[in-house]
Amino acid sequence: MNKSYFGIFKMEFKGELQYRSKAISGMLTQLFWGLLQIYLYTAFLNETPVDGFSISQMATYIWLGQAFYVMRYITVPKEIGTSIVNGNVSYNFVRPLDLYNNWFCENLGQKIASTLLRFPLIIILALFLPGNLRMYGPVSVTALLLTILGVILGTCISVAISMFTVYITFKTLSEKGASGIVSTISGLLGGMIIPLPLMPQSLQNVINYLPFRFISDLPFRIYIGNVGISEGLIFLSIGLAWLIVLIILGKLLLKSALKKTVIQGG
Amino acid sequence: MASIIDFTDICKTFKVPLRAKGKFSMFKNFFARKYKTIEALKNITFKVDEGDIVGYIGPNGAGKSTTIKIMSGILTPTSGNCVINGSVPWKNRREFVKNIGVVFGQRSQLWWDVPVIDSFELLRDIYKIPREEFDKTLELLNDALNLDDLLNRPLRQLSLGQKMKCELAGSLLHHPKILFLDEPTIGLDAITKLAVRDFIKFINKKWNTTIILTTHDMNDIEALTNKIILIGKGQILYQGSFENIKNQYSSSKTIVVEFAKDYDDIHLDGYETISHEKRFATLKNLPSKQFHPKEFVNEITRSYDIVDFQVTSLSVDEVLAKLYKEYEIVER
Repeated sequence: MNKSYFGIFKMEFKGELQYRSKAISGMLTQLFWGLLQIYLYTAFLNETPVDGFSISQMATYIWLGQAFYVMRYITVPKEIGTSIVNGNVSYNFVRPLDLYNNWFCENLGQKIASTLLRFPLIIILALFLPGNLRMYGPVSVTALLLTILGVILGTCISVAISMFTVYITFKTLSEKGASGIVSTISGLLGGMIIPLPLMPQSLQNVINYLPFRFISDLPFRIYIGNVGISEGLIFLSIGLAWLIVLIILGKLLLKSALKKTVIQGG
Repeated sequence: MASIIDFTDICKTFKVPLRAKGKFSMFKNFFARKYKTIEALKNITFKVDEGDIVGYIGPNGAGKSTTIKIMSGILTPTSGNCVINGSVPWKNRREFVKNIGVVFGQRSQLWWDVPVIDSFELLRDIYKIPREEFDKTLELLNDALNLDDLLNRPLRQLSLGQKMKCELAGSLLHHPKILFLDEPTIGLDAITKLAVRDFIKFINKKWNTTIILTTHDMNDIEALTNKIILIGKGQILYQGSFENIKNQYSSSKTIVVEFAKDYDDIHLDGYETISHEKRFATLKNLPSKQFHPKEFVNEITRSYDIVDFQVTSLSVDEVLAKLYKEYEIVER
């Protein structure tokens, strides 16, 4: 990768580190949501237990989800969105850079920085919670390594999907609408609203192969042992294939959008 | 000298949705939208020589920004040819933009949350500027613009004037051959305006940078440019020196006269009485009449007893306003 793209990545990273109170309030929200979700789904699981998905696994799954919330959340990256709507994007055109790569790195930098700021504390707290609420360690060292690999892949897929929201913003000039559509779809199909193991089996058979579940569902399930090592490896390669497809598709769409772009005003 | 910018017959049309009026118009618009085409630029042709400072002026909505956007490779024209620095801006965009710098006065190219120097470092990476050259350029810009106290502060903490200085520096780090400035002095106070002007002149001298400037501040034009291009309703109306235009209009004088007593009617050959109230009257010389102070005093004292008089010529802004009116290019 080119040095300038790394520079952009670094810049977003630094920018993100400047807002401490944002990170703290984010963490509090995630703790609250984690507890809420665990109470909710514990009630479900007590009524009708699901094979191969125990309450402790479910709690761990949810805590991981909260710890890596930023990485999983699909949205139009804030500055990119506003720059498209208000026309500041014109500066991106006068740089000797590929726009897609430029934005990809920006988004990735933001996501990694804010994730690194938040996840350690949430995980440490979750590990020491009492009873059913607590999070457990990984099933094995191999599973942990595979989880880390999966989280990295998932972050990239998450960014690649976010790039579609950038495309929609170009088309509609509404960043909120773009985020709304894509994040709802990916949230539901990626297990961020309801953990995927709790969904009907027939639905899972389809969802398991869609790109959204590779964002976080897969690595988390490898972590809790719900997906085995060899099965996990197969799925990780499917995820990698999806990443490549998404990037190619995203680049093509952005190119077509740029051809028709008109920057208005002043 | 070879021209660095060569614009031939550039046209640009936009398609804008036409809004139907009346009942249920929202639904009509939603289902069947009609479009009309707007000609933003019509056969724009001009040349700019290397090292020139060109003022690109015209009323709001004349097509100035559209032209700048075409020149900087952001927009593709509908038809026509344009060669800048030996290449076509919208083809091979990434190569082309290495040699241009752009400042849009109402937008920002630097990163909001981080110290300015970090933004500059990133620009260094983006343009692949060698460290040594970068340090030298930065020192030069620093000296000329007094950036010392600003570089280590995040952009969001800077005032508008400080920001503009940083934007200018940022656009010049890679030593571009052509600099596009879209309203660089908008909203700046008098001192900063002067500093920015001095700096633009300085860079032009030092590096022989070609500068294209759009502005509504006529003092910018007067102080900086050696050529202006006047555009209105998408067409070029005048190109040449600003002095020419100014001289054409500055022969028109307004004279306020104070009389020793009340006169019923003021009439002077060759002059038009614009207003008359008690002992004061405002006169204006007719286009056919050349104004000479001595002659004027002789003529007026022949028929009237006067106490004092004051002569004013048109300000640059008034000259331009007159010009716009004459060409009927003001937006209605």
